[in-house]
Amino acid sequence: MSGRVIVITSGKGGVGKTTTSANIGTALAKTGQKVILIDTDIGLRNLDLLLGLENRIVYTIVDVVEERCKLKQALVKDKKNPNLCLLAAAQTRDKSAVNQDQLKAICEELKEDNDFILIDCPAGIEQGFQNAIAGATEAIIVTTPEMSAVRDADRIIGLLEAREEIESYKLLLNRVRPNLIQSNDMMSVDDVVDILSCELIGIIPEDTGVITSTNKGEPIVNDENSLAGKAYSNVARRIVGDEVEFLDLSEPKGFFATFVDNIKKFFAALAGKE
Amino acid sequence: MEDKGFIENGFIIDLSNAKNASEIIYELSSILDMPEAKNKKICLKLGSIDLSQSQLLSIKSLINSMASDLAFIDTASEQTEGSALNLGIIISELSNEIVVPEIEPDYFELIDGEIQEKAHEEVKEFDQEPKDGLSFELTEPPVAEEIKETGKELVTEDLPIEAEEKIEDQLEISKLPTLYLQQTLRSGQTISYDGNIVVIGDVHAGSELIAKGDITIWGVLAGIAHAGARGNDLARIRALKINAIQLRISGFYARRPDSLNIPFIQRTNEFTPEEARVENKEIAVYKTYEV
Repeated sequence: MSGRVIVITSGKGGVGKTTTSANIGTALAKTGQKVILIDTDIGLRNLDLLLGLENRIVYTIVDVVEERCKLKQALVKDKKNPNLCLLAAAQTRDKSAVNQDQLKAICEELKEDNDFILIDCPAGIEQGFQNAIAGATEAIIVTTPEMSAVRDADRIIGLLEAREEIESYKLLLNRVRPNLIQSNDMMSVDDVVDILSCELIGIIPEDTGVITSTNKGEPIVNDENSLAGKAYSNVARRIVGDEVEFLDLSEPKGFFATFVDNIKKFFAALAGKE
Repeated sequence: MEDKGFIENGFIIDLSNAKNASEIIYELSSILDMPEAKNKKICLKLGSIDLSQSQLLSIKSLINSMASDLAFIDTASEQTEGSALNLGIIISELSNEIVVPEIEPDYFELIDGEIQEKAHEEVKEFDQEPKDGLSFELTEPPVAEEIKETGKELVTEDLPIEAEEKIEDQLEISKLPTLYLQQTLRSGQTISYDGNIVVIGDVHAGSELIAKGDITIWGVLAGIAHAGARGNDLARIRALKINAIQLRISGFYARRPDSLNIPFIQRTNEFTPEEARVENKEIAVYKTYEV
């Protein structure tokens, strides 16, 4: 069986690549898929923190590449789900420690025994980015509905389009605030998709629960009450091929708000008739 | 004679390191044997080698016998120059430098000044006279009749000299080769071309088009377009919608007026075909199409 290698990238930093990688990986593993997560942000590793596996790391990707250990020895099993493994980055080195060919070779080796290889890409377009996309055939571009993030995502999509090995790329819109969109203070989902001309694979709402989940080291997909968690689970289902409708993210309005809305509509209709 | 830096079908052969005429002929015959060198206009760089008239003539015949033409030579030697003149061979200087139009320092200072002033001035700046070359306005299109009349004027016999130069510039644009792109340009992608550029698609903010001639975009222009980059004031920029960050024509640079700060730059609900050109030393954007 040959696994799918998906790189999760964005260009802009801080939009949620690592959070997305951790959560999609966990969600896929929950449904029984065998998943390997690779952290390529060497020097500034975070994926291990989000999964709560920091104190279990003995060997990192740099040790594999410099042949101090075998690839299998460097894979750390997840606390809760044995289907999920992490290949951690080194905190003590930097991105020049690994090159594209080495990353590609690792992906080829891991593809044989696993269903999904998710590569968490660092921010930027330099060596770190080039390394991360080296072995990938699919990409998920993460962006938030802000001009700066969208501009950077555009650049990244341009770079991915130019690369033949990447056969498909999808957009994931993160940290969406429906109430700001309604008051026209934030770009709408349609605005972003229009500008980037890229197919959407997920819309994740802003959720303060993500902050606590990061600190605890437990991905938010494990929280059944969280809307963001549900959204991430849906993304995992879409990756596997299921057709899932996008969640309705608008907050349910209270009685009074709906009442006021109805009155406004009444007066607007009156004004219209005149 | 001035070299405009652009010869169609040209092929430069640098033989300035050769020591004498026979070496030149030897090198030349092996180079001309290559299929790439056939049917080209050859430009010979001869350095400071001295060549007599008969030697130069044999070189010319050699080139002709290999199905090419000697377009001109570049020489530092007086003797060779003399021989060339006697044979009617053109002497020209080859330069690979791009002729960048001298941008008057005024514009740059003004641009800097503008940015600093911006921080302190109120928005009502836009009621003032637009400064030279720095703001472009959406002007009302001239009434249709006026356009026709202007057209007629340009073609009459007793033209002032400036108008003659204008026609040559315009002809020059139509003679340039054109690059035809059927794709959308994304942020970070730059296209520069020694001719006209046509893009079927959008030009996203963060991308740049630099052309010697016109720029035509069948889509939304949100990036930077520089037409007439080698000094042609008559070059134009056209798009189905101009939302550009900056427009540049020849040496004129202009930015989008802040009053038109469209949120989320590229999203546009309707197309309004527009054309930007230099009028009265400013870049103006017209909503009509004028030939």
